[in-house]
Amino acid sequence: MPETKGDLTMAVKDIAEAVAVFDRVKVVELVEAEIAAKTEIDEILNAGLIDAMDIVGKRFSSGELFVPEMLMAAKAMKAGLEVLKPHLSAGAVAAKGTVVIGTVKGDLHDIGKNLVALMMEGAGLEVVDLGVDIDAEKFVKAAVEHNAGVVALSALLTTTMPTMEIIVAAIKEAGIAVKTIVGGAPVTEAFADQIGADGFSTDAPGAVELTRKLLST
Amino acid sequence: MNRAITNFDQKMLGSIHNYSLELLNDTGIRFPNENAREIFREHGFRTDGEMVFFKEKDIRMALNTVPSSFTIKARNPAKDIQIGGDNYMMAPGYGPPFIIEPSGEKRNALLDDVHKFCKLVQTSQYLDFNSSIIVQPTEVPQETAHLDILLATLLMTDKPIMGSSSSGIAAKDSLKLAELVWGNTDEPVMISLVDSLSPLQYAAEMVDSLMVFAEAGQPVIVHSSCSLGSTGPITIAGSLVISNATTLAGICLAQLINPGTPIVYGLGGSPTEMKTGGYVNASPEDAKHTAIVTALGRYYNIPCRSQGALTESFCLDYQAGMESAMMLTTAALSGANLSLHACGTYGSMLGMSYEKFIADEDLCGAIKKLMQPVEFTDDAFSMDMIKELGTSGNYLMEMHTLKRCRSEFFMPELSIRTIHNKWLEMEPRDITERAAGILAKRFAEYEKPEIDPDIEKHLVQYVNTRKGL
Ligand code: B1M
Repeated sequence: MPETKGDLTMAVKDIAEAVAVFDRVKVVELVEAEIAAKTEIDEILNAGLIDAMDIVGKRFSSGELFVPEMLMAAKAMKAGLEVLKPHLSAGAVAAKGTVVIGTVKGDLHDIGKNLVALMMEGAGLEVVDLGVDIDAEKFVKAAVEHNAGVVALSALLTTTMPTMEIIVAAIKEAGIAVKTIVGGAPVTEAFADQIGADGFSTDAPGAVELTRKLLST
Repeated sequence: MNRAITNFDQKMLGSIHNYSLELLNDTGIRFPNENAREIFREHGFRTDGEMVFFKEKDIRMALNTVPSSFTIKARNPAKDIQIGGDNYMMAPGYGPPFIIEPSGEKRNALLDDVHKFCKLVQTSQYLDFNSSIIVQPTEVPQETAHLDILLATLLMTDKPIMGSSSSGIAAKDSLKLAELVWGNTDEPVMISLVDSLSPLQYAAEMVDSLMVFAEAGQPVIVHSSCSLGSTGPITIAGSLVISNATTLAGICLAQLINPGTPIVYGLGGSPTEMKTGGYVNASPEDAKHTAIVTALGRYYNIPCRSQGALTESFCLDYQAGMESAMMLTTAALSGANLSLHACGTYGSMLGMSYEKFIADEDLCGAIKKLMQPVEFTDDAFSMDMIKELGTSGNYLMEMHTLKRCRSEFFMPELSIRTIHNKWLEMEPRDITERAAGILAKRFAEYEKPEIDPDIEKHLVQYVNTRKGL
């Protein structure tokens, strides 16, 4: 048996390899083949898709991979995940946690927010992107509706940072068990603490790491 | 000649224009603002949901009514500025919410910083007008911060101001304050920046402010810019078409509201840092946009805007100097009519620095000197003197030299021009510390410009009332 297991792992590793070179078609093919071969679904998910994104994440952080390459890898991983989803035990995906993300009311800057959202997706998180110009009510509603673990707020204007405070307060007031994180160029750690957010990150990889941490506590 | 920044012939500019028309007609521009769409519809434009579609003749008509030059009045008439033609006007940083200290530390900008920078603008030999967000003061209520800045620029300087475009309300506040100073706003007394939202759309609040300024006939810089590779194609050509189409749509709206509204045409484009997704705006690609925007400005016969002395650096190092000089020199030499961010900005426009402001003034001065035409008068040829001195001359002893010795050459304030051992002995030698010395002098020599006490009272009253004080 160990040999077969070894072979299977090798095949699963191929999935990881295909993700790393962002070959979406091959990822889908390989995942389908593994399912047909009755490989354990968890193994395909963890050793194939999630591990691959960890590698991709590391390569991105070290500057080896460029953003579009990292995003394409994330897309490839998502395609594989879609194939896998019907076979996952209920809640297995949701267990990783859902993130509701958006740029706050009055603010239309979304390049950074999009990047954070895409990288979160790439890390296997379920992301609900509300877009830009989002007020407290919409954040609260989406957090409840999607049973979110984290609400992520982005702002690029000093004039819209106070809105973050309003949203964080509204979420607390709504009494939902969800963590809040904030970010964006003018946002600082001190500001995040001051408004009672649960976390802050200066960049997208940091936001992913932070979210994972918050979701596992 | 086929240098990269001069190879814009009419055919190439025409193709940017034609592709822009194609986008305006086929894809349209999003105006999430019912009032604006109503105006378009009244003029027979096709709309679909929030999208507005433009025909070639609409754009042509709009371009026909844009003035090729105009004057913005200053509180001190000697400081009025002329926008267009050969003129090149400079304003300091726009929008940074942080101050970068000489230590490299970053802190939130405060209203006190706005005041200090106003002193520097007023005492600047080279800056021609104010910025409406020289820094964003973070400790004051944000919904009225624009009033604090407007009041400061009006009271502490007598140079032309920028209006606040952050919302329709802010635009109206700008006009109200100007009315208190000038009695009316019949002539241009400010200029404001309206940014579109790439790709191919405007934010509702920006449109509101564009409409307020256009109704009042006050000049607007209509600016579009893609982050190459994220909000637009990675290629300059593709992004240019998006930005040009979007800017033309904004110009069109202003001209429908009030034909003849003075416009400054603006487009930019900055690379997305492909390793991080960050925004880079002191790059050869940015500089190329500057060259192209000026060529397009001439193509449309509209004054044009460029970025200023931008850098990605956070201190007065080689990178800051190199990038700032590349950006501002390109703007000046390719014919920009005005630059924001001419002084003081660091790190992608997010930080403002006092010391960089002083260093950039040297750059502005050098560039203004570089742009001046060489004097070819009889006195400048000085033929009699040359013949008289022949081969034996010592021109240092001549009256001609004496008369001009204080004015002929550009004299930097901060840059050094000395010999090595003098430099070694210099105290302080570090450029940032030397800039601090100049700053202290500038703050000391600042005098508040005269203003009618009644006007001052009314301005303060207006701002206080609006702030609920
Ligand atoms: C939830 O957890 C997290 C965690 C991390 C998070 C996070 C959330 N969100 C972000 N992060 C972090 O991760 C990301 C990736 O590493 C990073 O995201 P960033 O968004 O920081 O980084 C992006 C990847 C790249 N960066 C960017 O995309 C922003 C770049 C700059 C130049 C910028 C841009 C591009 C734009 N702008 Co605007 N703009 C500026 C910006 C200056 C700057 N250097 O930041 C800034 C923010 N803008 C400013 C201004 C004034 C304005 N802008 C405006 C408009 C625009 C454009 C439309 C032209 C365009 C936005 C296009 C778009 N679709 O987003 C206007 C406002 C519109 C509005 N209501 O929102 C307007 C008011 C200008 C005007 N008069 O028209 C200034 C802010 C002043 C202030 N502090 O209040 C500004 C600093 C530039 C300046 N000096 O003027 C991190 O911050």
